[in-house]
This record gives sequence, structure tokens and C-alpha cells, in this order.
Amino acid sequence: MSNPANAKSKSGVTGIVRKLISGFTGIIWTIFAIGHLAGNLQLYKTDGTAFNQYGHFLESLGGLLILAEIFLVLFLGMHAISGIQVWLGKRKARPESYKLYQSAGSKSKQSLASRSMIVTGSVLLLFLVVHVLSFKFNIFKPADVITLANGAQARDLYKYVWEAFKNPVYAFGYTFVMALLGLHLRHGVWSALQSLGMMKPKFSPVIYSIGGIIAALVAVGFLSIPLYIYFS
Amino acid sequence: MSINFKTVENSSRLDAKAPSGPLESKWKNHKKDVKLVSPANKRKHTIIVVGTGLAGASAAATLAELGYNVKALTIHDSPRRAHSIAAQGGINAAKNYQNDGDTIHRLFYDTIKGGDYRAREANVHRLAEESVNIIDQAVAQGVPFGREYGGVLSNRSFGGAQVSRTFYAKGQTGQQLLLGAYSAMMRMVDAGKIELLTRREMLDLVTVDGVARGVVARNLETGEIEKYAGSAVLLCTGGYGNVYYLSTNAKNSNVTAAWRAHKKGAFFGNPCYVQIHPTCIPQSGDYQSKLTLMSESLRNDGRVWVPKKEGDTRKPVQIPEDERDYFLERKYPSFGNLVPRDVASRNAKYACDEGRGVGATGKAVYLDFADSIKRLGQKTIEDRYGNLFEMYERITGDNPYETPMRIYPAVHYTMGGLWVDYNLMTTVPGCFALGEANFSDHGANRLGASALMQGLADGYFVIPYTLGDYIANNSLKPVSTDHDAFKASVVEQEERINKLLNINGNKTTLEFHRELGAVVWDNIGMSRTKEGLEEAIVKIRAIKEEFWTNLKLTGEKNTFNKYLEFAGRVADFIELAELMAMDAWHRNESCGGHFREEYQTPDGEALRNDDEFAYAAAWEFAGEGKEYTMHKENLVFENVKLSQRSYK
Amino acid sequence: MSKETIRLKLKVWRQEGPKVKGELKNYEVEISTHASFLEMLDVLNEDLIHKGERPVEFEHDCREGICGSCSLVVNGMAHGPQANTAVCQLHMRHFKDGETITIEPWRASAFPIVKDLVVDRSAFDRIISAGGFISVNTGSATDANSILIGKDLADHAFDYATCIGCGACVAACPNASASLFTGAKISQLALLPQGDPERKRRVQSMVNQMDVEGFGDCSNHGECEAVCPKGISISAIAMMRREYVKSYF
Repeated sequence: MSNPANAKSKSGVTGIVRKLISGFTGIIWTIFAIGHLAGNLQLYKTDGTAFNQYGHFLESLGGLLILAEIFLVLFLGMHAISGIQVWLGKRKARPESYKLYQSAGSKSKQSLASRSMIVTGSVLLLFLVVHVLSFKFNIFKPADVITLANGAQARDLYKYVWEAFKNPVYAFGYTFVMALLGLHLRHGVWSALQSLGMMKPKFSPVIYSIGGIIAALVAVGFLSIPLYIYFS
Repeated sequence: MSINFKTVENSSRLDAKAPSGPLESKWKNHKKDVKLVSPANKRKHTIIVVGTGLAGASAAATLAELGYNVKALTIHDSPRRAHSIAAQGGINAAKNYQNDGDTIHRLFYDTIKGGDYRAREANVHRLAEESVNIIDQAVAQGVPFGREYGGVLSNRSFGGAQVSRTFYAKGQTGQQLLLGAYSAMMRMVDAGKIELLTRREMLDLVTVDGVARGVVARNLETGEIEKYAGSAVLLCTGGYGNVYYLSTNAKNSNVTAAWRAHKKGAFFGNPCYVQIHPTCIPQSGDYQSKLTLMSESLRNDGRVWVPKKEGDTRKPVQIPEDERDYFLERKYPSFGNLVPRDVASRNAKYACDEGRGVGATGKAVYLDFADSIKRLGQKTIEDRYGNLFEMYERITGDNPYETPMRIYPAVHYTMGGLWVDYNLMTTVPGCFALGEANFSDHGANRLGASALMQGLADGYFVIPYTLGDYIANNSLKPVSTDHDAFKASVVEQEERINKLLNINGNKTTLEFHRELGAVVWDNIGMSRTKEGLEEAIVKIRAIKEEFWTNLKLTGEKNTFNKYLEFAGRVADFIELAELMAMDAWHRNESCGGHFREEYQTPDGEALRNDDEFAYAAAWEFAGEGKEYTMHKENLVFENVKLSQRSYK
Repeated sequence: MSKETIRLKLKVWRQEGPKVKGELKNYEVEISTHASFLEMLDVLNEDLIHKGERPVEFEHDCREGICGSCSLVVNGMAHGPQANTAVCQLHMRHFKDGETITIEPWRASAFPIVKDLVVDRSAFDRIISAGGFISVNTGSATDANSILIGKDLADHAFDYATCIGCGACVAACPNASASLFTGAKISQLALLPQGDPERKRRVQSMVNQMDVEGFGDCSNHGECEAVCPKGISISAIAMMRREYVKSYF
């Protein structure tokens, strides 16, 4: 273990560390997404009070919210960078690709989901930018201000969202991207757990299935909202 | 027919150097008496280890740990590919963990008896002594042997022994032991004490003033002929079973390194002792490239039979019970299907020779599990042999639960090899031979689970002492690879390769190899006759003649060229085959793996002739076209009583 | 036993040397369905030699699935379509008359091509020499039964120890990662008490070496497990990661 030929790799970050980062930040974002979805389910109500109160509550957290947002952005950045590094590394590790390649099936977990992580991830990243600009900063259209039950002034986000999703571009764009999120999570959830070393042969198939269920629930939960609004 | 050679009785060239004193203390005393090399001096010596199987890897690792500089050559892309990896069954050790009365003496005795009293007592006893240390060493390296629920090591019994002394790692014991030795070796590569030279094929032993001082090898990737000098050369290059073309050996297993050393003065011991394993998957066609071994344990529950009628082509299930001949049970009522390897093999051959063989080629007998499945249930059979049945089905496409297996004997191990003294040194000073490459420990027949034991004993525990003694006793001056002996050797090898490539005839290497294999199998196989051997020599000489005038090779020499490698090896196999025939021809007795039809008991058992043949035959090469000289090392048995085997 | 033979069209990767550009070349071969895949290539090569052409170079040795020499990507799958089977034990009965078979070498920059279908896998040896061992000099071992290891644990370690070092995991991985190979050795030694004293250095050193060799990262596609002739589970990779994290605490 002392051979001088075994020099440290140049980046100083091993592949395992990249996967640990990717897995950890991915899990955090999955948890965030589930929380976000839980809040969004209030959009199903015909009355916007609850949704707006929830939105206002988050904003009223002030510094705490900003701190959480900073961490989320940081994690997202780490997640994206590690993902891009994996993708770049793969091209370096196999410069000449197979003329014919196919999965051997059986125990392989290779799928459209696992092979398209870089694509779904890139789309999701772009989407997040647009999403935050639209609904957090209301860049494209200012939001109305309403007075809540406790007298506080807040943005009428309920109305804002409903109006936005009456626009077919927004509604179907969101639906499509949320389907991609499902695809991303289909591989991402269980892969993150595997990356964090949480897999044992006994649990592996179960967790793989649970990963699929989580992915489906999150995707259906998110994409049903714009569809519901658009068609109602 | 002219088969001429000189004979030297009690040859002075064969000083076995077995220590004096009682058998039990020979090795202990020898270890006490050998000279040591100081650490500062070990650093000054380079040891060339050729081959990285069990013997080579364990020797390389151990010598490097001691401080020698080791250069390890292997023909493979990695040391881990060596054919030791394929050994299935297990490794014997006289640990007596089962409290069933095993002792070092019993393991010694079983091995000597199993070898049909044709091995050197002192060597075999040393092997039995060191067997226990091998298990300790392997476990310490992390070899995952089979264990009991309580955490202790598990043992199984194996043929030729009345005790359970075989340690195993499922059906992959050889793999696990080799990976253990390989890891020890790679640790020393990392420490800079071993220079690992992969894809190098030794083509010549280089001697300076009659002493082995290096090798010349071909770099199999670039084709370059390279020179390696050192203080000693260790040949750990395995056996020569591939002389038969079809064998259970790996395709790259060969005799070339040993044979080239033989031509440089190392005597070849007992080349006719070959072990044939009874339960292998038979040949299915001309394209067949190798035979696959099935564990012998199958004979515990399988019944061997052939149809009574010649040329019966019915499906096995359609042949009624009274038209089947369970020949082993018929001839050997008390041992039945569990007779020793050689007896089972020979009788299968006889049945096929009578035209009662089965399968497309007629060269197979049935091994039937129907009765056992009826008696024990399919579940039990599956538990016992599931993986073997699976392997059989993968290769043949037949399901052995439904139709009997077809089996046939195949060459499996060669007991003969380079003659070595007690220190494992060949007749060329400074050139040692370890493991299957030497002739030393198994006599005329090897017991199951003993090959791994010998390879590792030689490498881990014997050579470190005996090599040290050689180095300490000889003031070896450094030799440079610029020495004329190296230069001459390189020229010679380059000429030989050019010659092979320039014959430009019509027959491929494989065609020659197949042809040779058929002759050797038919005449120097399971049962041999004087006439058959004489005929073999004529045919082998003709093959040699044709090989050097009608070989067709394509491709170039300065690059990876597997068929060029094969051609060089086949050329050596052809020469070896003639020596095997000569050895078998001269040995007018039957013993172990050498069965001469003229010498059998009325019951058809091997009939030894201890008065005339209780010696090891060591053959000296005198030069191309010159008569061989056969040197006799008389075997003295002071501790065992020679007896006849009987399995009736 | 049937005497069926089939005719096949082959597309075989031919490459003169490491730095030369290679290409798929077309061949035809007629072969018994009882022959093995490598025997089919033997027959092709005999034919090529008779025609005065250069035979196809491919790696092979034991031909019984244990030495790990054989290394062919058959129709896009490392070791071909049969699960838990090295290509040397794949038999021609799995192919149909008239079928086209594409044969390529392992492709990874850490496994440079030597010639045709032969690659250089010495990177694996260097990963092992970086720490895939237990440092115990010959002669310094204690009695074998002084270390008690439960049967389940021993069997578990054995499952990881069965790796034959063929490199199919790398070949099949969309990222050309060597994680299964490295993880299997780390897991074997991490499970056994003998491996405990060096476990931290071992995992760090081997993981680092794996990166230095230029293998890709693992994206948990699990393709390696599907093509592994010994069916080694990717739980070995999870365990390697656990070991790696633990090694820093």
C-alpha cells in the first residue's frame, strides 16, 4: 500500500465520494419534493385560503427560510456537478463505444430511467430556474396581494397558480417535466440508498420497489395538479 | 523397431540428498542444518520464478517476503489465470480436526500407497508434515474455507483415505487457494520486491558454466525475445497433460519451460505416469477443444452402465434393466462404482472398445442417477450435486435428472516431471522445479486433494529453506544478460521462431496437436502394450517429421500471435510424447497410472514388479538425434511395507 | 444426440494493435450446435489459417468458466446472453441457423486493446496490489481453528471471493466502472476477521487505485451483476461504500 505508482488521483475526490455527495443531496431534495408536494396538495381546494396561509407561513420564517434555501441551492449545485462529472468520466472511461450494446436483463437494473439521468437531470435543473423565477419571484407577471385572516399581507399565490395553469403551455410543460422527475426518481431514490451503502442483498429488491413507488407517487402527485387545474 | 537408450543403474548423477536419520526427523534436521542467507545478502540475489500457479505464486511471495528480489514470469495476462485455479475438490492436511485418528504418518502412508510405491519416502513425509501449515497460512490470508456452524473448519473425506482430512471451499478450492497465494504475491509486487512480468513465455534456460543463471523468454505482446538473469531459476510451470490434446488442462497449459530445461540438462522423471480421471464430460465432436471434469463424488450415487448389446442406439430410458450391464458392480462387487480412478477409467475404456459405448461418438458410458433419485428423492440429489448437474446441462444440453449422464475418462494430472532431489533442485544446479512440474511426491498415481497440497508445500515451506541453502553454499558471481550464453540463446530462439513461421505448409497447429493427441491417447493412455508403444513411437516420429515440413502458420512474430505460441508448444509436446512412449515401453510392470496390459493379475489389476522396477526413471537428453540415457534412482522403502492393491 | 449444424454470419472486431483503428469484419462459419462458442471461433480460425489469413486473436484458457481469461462481448452483452455463464461455457445451441453474431472486445480505456478481441486487464492486478490482501508473511499464521468464523459469514465472504477477475463488470457497465470487482474483494476481506486490522487502509487504497486506473464511476445500473459469471451481487458495491465512509472515522 505504499507503491509510489499509486499516486493520489488528480481531483482528490474519488468516485465514491462523488456518489456519496450525489446520493445524500439527492435524498435531501427528494424529501424536499415530498414536503413541497404535501403543501401543493392544498391547491386542490376550491378556496385558496389554506394554500396562501401555507405560503405566507413559509415566507414568515425569514432567515430560517433563506438558510434552508441556501442549503437547497448548495445541495442542488453539488448534485448537478457530481452528476455531470460522472457523465464526463464515463465518456473518458470508454472513448470508443460498442457497435452493438444491449442489457443482459435479469438482475440488471439498467433502464431508460438509469440511462437518462443526465438528460432528466438537466431538464429538471432548467425547469427549477424557470419555476423559481415564476412562482417565487413572479418575474414574468406580478402577483396580487391579499389580506390573510390574521391581517397579514401576502401574495395571492393560489390565484396566481390557478391562472398560470390555465395556460396550456404552463400546464402541459409542467406535466411533462414532472413525468421526467418521476423517471429521475425511479432510478434516483434506490440508487441514492445504494450509493450511501444502505443496500443489503436481502433488502435490495424491496428497496428497489419502494424507490419505484416513491417516484410514481411524487410524479403523479405533482403532475396531477396542473392537469386538474387546466381541466377544471 | 529400434528403441535404444543407455541405462545407468544407481546413477551417481541422481543424488537424492535425502537427509539421514529417522523419517520423522529428516525434515526437521534438514531445516536445522541448512545454511542461511543474511538479509543483507538476500537483497543481492534475484530469483527467477517461472509460472504463477500455486507453486510459483507461493514461492514468489515467500521469497520476496524473505528479502530476495523476485522476477515472476507468467504466460497469462495475470498471475491469477494459472490453471491451479480450476482445481475443484480440496486440499489434504493431517490436522486431525475430526479426531478420527489422522496423523502425519497416516497422510504420508496413504500418499505413498496411493502412489503405488513409486515415490521417495522422505519427500512424501515432508509433504505430510507441511500440510498442516498450509491450512494455517491460507486461513490467515482470508481463504474462505467451508466451515461448521460453530465456526471451525469443515472437512470431507476423499478417495484413498479412511479419515476426513480434506479442506475445501465449495467446489472452488483451487481458485480460493490460488487467489490467496496471488494476493500474497501482489502484496510483494506493491512492496517492490517482485517484478511481475505477465505474458512472458520462457523459451530457454540459460546456463553459465553448467549452472542455471537465467531464462530467455518471449514477450507475448510484442514478440520480443527478452533476457532475465538471476541467481536461481524456479520452474513452477505445471504438468504436461495437454500432450493428449484433449484433457482437463487449460488450453495454455504446456510443457515448454520444463522441456527446454530438460534439453539444457534437467533430467525428466517418470514421464509415463499420467493420471486419468474417470468422470469427465465426453467429447461431442471433432471441434472439441477440451474436456471438463465432473467431481468424482458423483460416483457415490450414480451407477455406471452400458448396454449389454453392441451398437445399441436406443435411448437410455428405453433400454430395459436386464439389457444393461452395470460393469463396475458386476466386476467389483464390494467396491462397485467406487473403485479407484484408474480402475473405473480402464473399465469404461474396455466397455467402449467392445463397441458398447454410448452417445454419438461411442466413447462414453452412462452414469445413472435414476435409482438414487427414486431412493432419496430429487431434492436430496439436488442438494448434493445441484451445481454439477447444472454444469453438465450447460455443456451438453441434457438434463441429468431425466436422462443418465454420459461420462468418459480424461487426462487430468501428470505425476511425472522434472527429476528433483530432496531440495527440489533438478540435475541442473540452480534450476529448481516445484509443484506439478516436478516428479517428486505422487509416485505413479496421485491421490485426490494432494495436488494443491504439494504445490503450496513446495512454494511456501520447502523452497525458502532449500534455495537459501543453495545460495549460501555457492558463491555466485553476478551474471549480466550481455553474457554470451544469453546472446546465443536469443539467437537460437529467434531462429526457431522464424523457422516455424517459414515452413508454410498445409496443416495447422491444431491439426498436428489433435493428431498427436490421438496417438498418445490410444497408445500411452489408460492401458498400454509393448506393441502399441512401439507403434506410437513410429507415428510420433512421423508427426515430428511432418510438423517441421508441413506446418502452416499465419500472422507475424512481432505481435500477439497465439497460434505461434501454440506451435512452439506442440513441437515440444511431440518430443515429450516420444519420451513418454519410451518410458512406458521400458517399464515392464503396471503401477498406478501406468497400466501395461501384459502385466496384470488374473483379476485384471495392476501388477507391480518391485524387484525390478522400484526406481524412478530419470531421462537424460543427450542432444538432437542422440540416444537418451535413463538414470535409475532406486527407491528405498524403510517405513512402509509394499503391498498389492485389491478392490474386489 | 442430434447432429445439427448451423450456419452463422459473424461480425468480428479486428484491430491490429493498441494504437490502430479497428473495424467489424464479416465472416461465415458452420458449426455443430454442441460446440462451445470458443470452439466455434477455433473452427473459424482454422479456416482463416488455411486460407492464409490471420486468425482472430481472443483470450481463453481453462474453458470451464473459472480462470477469467475469456472476454468477449457477444451481441452487445459481456459473455453473451446466458446468465451466470462465462462465454467459454456458452454453447452454440443457444443460437439459430442463419443468425448474425456480433463479437467485440471489452471496451474501456483502462483495458486497452492488445489485438482484435484481446485486452490488457493489468489494471485489475494493480487494484489488488494496492490492498487486496491480508499482510501475513508465510510462517507467521496461527492455528487455522484459532480463528472461529460462523458458517453463514464464511459463506457470505465466499460469495464475494468467487470473482474470477474477467472484467465483464467493467465491459457491461455503461460507465466502464470497476466497482463490482473492487467491491467484491473489499467485501470479502471486510467480512472476515482476518481482514479487520487493515480494513481502513485497504479500502482507501483500492478505491483510489481504481480511480487512478481511469475506470468510470458507478451509477448503480446493476448491469455488472447481470453479466457476472459468478453472479456477484452489487451489495458488494454498497459494502465498499460503507467501508469507505467508515474508514474516515
